[in-house]
Amino acid sequence: MKRLSVSLVILGGLAHGLAAQGDVRARLVGRVSPEVVQLVSSLADSARGLGLPDAPLVDKALEGAAKAAAPERIAAAVQTVFGQLAAAARVMRSTGATPGSQEIEAGAFALGAGLTVDDVAAVAQTADGTHPAMAVLQVAGALAALGVPRAQTVGLVQSAVRSGLPLGDLTNLPAQVQAAAASGVPPAAAAAGLERAAEARAAPNPHSSSKAKTNPHKP
Amino acid sequence: MDHSGAPSDGSVVRAVLAGDTDQFSVLVRRYRDRYARYAAHMLGSIDAAEDAVQDAMVRAYTHLGQCREPENFAGWFFLILRNRCFAERRRSRWETGLEGVSEVAAPEQTESELERSEVVKDLQRALLRLTAEQREVFVLKHVEGLAYDEIAARLKTSVAALKMRMHRAYDRLRELLEAP
Amino acid sequence: MKREWNPLVKQVLDGERELETLPADLRLEAETARRLLLDAIDRQAVTLSASLDARVMARVRSRATAPWSRAWRWLSAPTVPRWAVMVPIAAAAGILLLARTSTPPAIGEPRTALTGQRESVYVRFELYAPHASRVALAGTFNRWDPAATPLVRVGSDGMWTVTIALPSGQHQYGFMVDGRNWVPDPVAPAVDDGFGRRNSVVSVNTMNGRIL
Repeated sequence: MKRLSVSLVILGGLAHGLAAQGDVRARLVGRVSPEVVQLVSSLADSARGLGLPDAPLVDKALEGAAKAAAPERIAAAVQTVFGQLAAAARVMRSTGATPGSQEIEAGAFALGAGLTVDDVAAVAQTADGTHPAMAVLQVAGALAALGVPRAQTVGLVQSAVRSGLPLGDLTNLPAQVQAAAASGVPPAAAAAGLERAAEARAAPNPHSSSKAKTNPHKP
Repeated sequence: MDHSGAPSDGSVVRAVLAGDTDQFSVLVRRYRDRYARYAAHMLGSIDAAEDAVQDAMVRAYTHLGQCREPENFAGWFFLILRNRCFAERRRSRWETGLEGVSEVAAPEQTESELERSEVVKDLQRALLRLTAEQREVFVLKHVEGLAYDEIAARLKTSVAALKMRMHRAYDRLRELLEAP
Repeated sequence: MKREWNPLVKQVLDGERELETLPADLRLEAETARRLLLDAIDRQAVTLSASLDARVMARVRSRATAPWSRAWRWLSAPTVPRWAVMVPIAAAAGILLLARTSTPPAIGEPRTALTGQRESVYVRFELYAPHASRVALAGTFNRWDPAATPLVRVGSDGMWTVTIALPSGQHQYGFMVDGRNWVPDPVAPAVDDGFGRRNSVVSVNTMNGRIL
């Protein structure tokens, strides 16, 4: 497998491939064991061959070194990250999208926060012109990382986008959940409330327009 | 302004005045960072900007009944923050660049990037040596990107007066930055 | 020694005249002026710390329960007329421009970000650690090197803080206290780090600042 991936890199562009390999090694040598350097280099080659970013692999190895983790543990953690990147890219591409590095990393982040590949697909598919994939995936990942259950995370993001919530307000959703949590409201309940609000907004409203509100609604 | 259905500033202000204090957090969230860059450049540090924004938010709550145009909470809040920035007298010694900021100095940072850091800090230091009014017109026009007539409307002054202030600022900056 | 820019040069700085329309003998001065004053401007968005909202609301709530303040707000609350005041379009546009955290275009201005290719946002980190003697920030943005980004103690009540510029994306991090204890950020969401602990996460979106 290693030999095959090296061949692919050579076919893809010798100079670029070797430079990228050198960059990975340069970042790791002296900070992790030679075995880990070799493993990460090899995984990075595979990642590049699959159109995945390799920086998260190197970051995870450096993190393991900083936390004085055993080489086997570092290796396992790096492989997990590789799996998340690959899965995120695969599921996004299967929806017809062509995700760039940032979208793939956002998808991998969402997986690492506890969402499944189906969740990531569902969230990624809500992306539209005003709600780019990277942002919706970041929001979903942040919500999941805050403890909002998976189904509710997906539901909230979908409702918010469908209701036309401005991007700035969408990216504020995790902060709202966290603020609610600080006042003792469980993340699930906070997310449910926000989803209901989004659905209410999305319901057809004969009065909705961009005109001035002449009758301020009662709080 | 908002066609998506998110509560307008006006409706939130009215809710708070009617007794729903917690709704004020909507305005805090919406505007906490909007003028942060302006405050940071006016005061020379992000820490000071944070204090100023926090104080201005609390003051906005306390005097919310005096907000004449609830739909323009943003503009009213800006003026409160502005007053707070002008009242800030303690920065008589100048900080280096935006204080508290350590740019992530990656080893790959090129020589030209390092040089640019210094040039940026020099300008920021010099800005802090202008009068507050001169610094403000420079920041609003060249950092925030407002046109003169927009600044004039916001500060209730004339374009001519602003240009005079700005041109003095340009000359003063020249003195400070070209000093031998 | 007072040196003043030529008035035509100032018009270039104001964006009201193109440099190319200046007489040849003034162009060098205009380029110098632009380089010194405009090209050196730091327009990076600034994001204040995540705990600001909570601190504001704590002070707001304590005021709300004070009896004198309730009476004052009731007295000073205006009666809203049926016809709401429309914000003039020009002023609204001004507010929108100020609201954008991305760099607005101006004549001849380069859009270089200090940290490389992606635009960055200043993000402030803080940790309450009254008994610590040193605190450092380590994460994906500084290769998990605790020596790279020390926090600074502010005030006397045990708060440590640092502000750094971060490019858009997700960044995982933690605090290293006294060189040996990894502490997650209590106000941030967390993910499994693969080493038996949790990493804190900050998501930065250069259109809107940080997500959390």
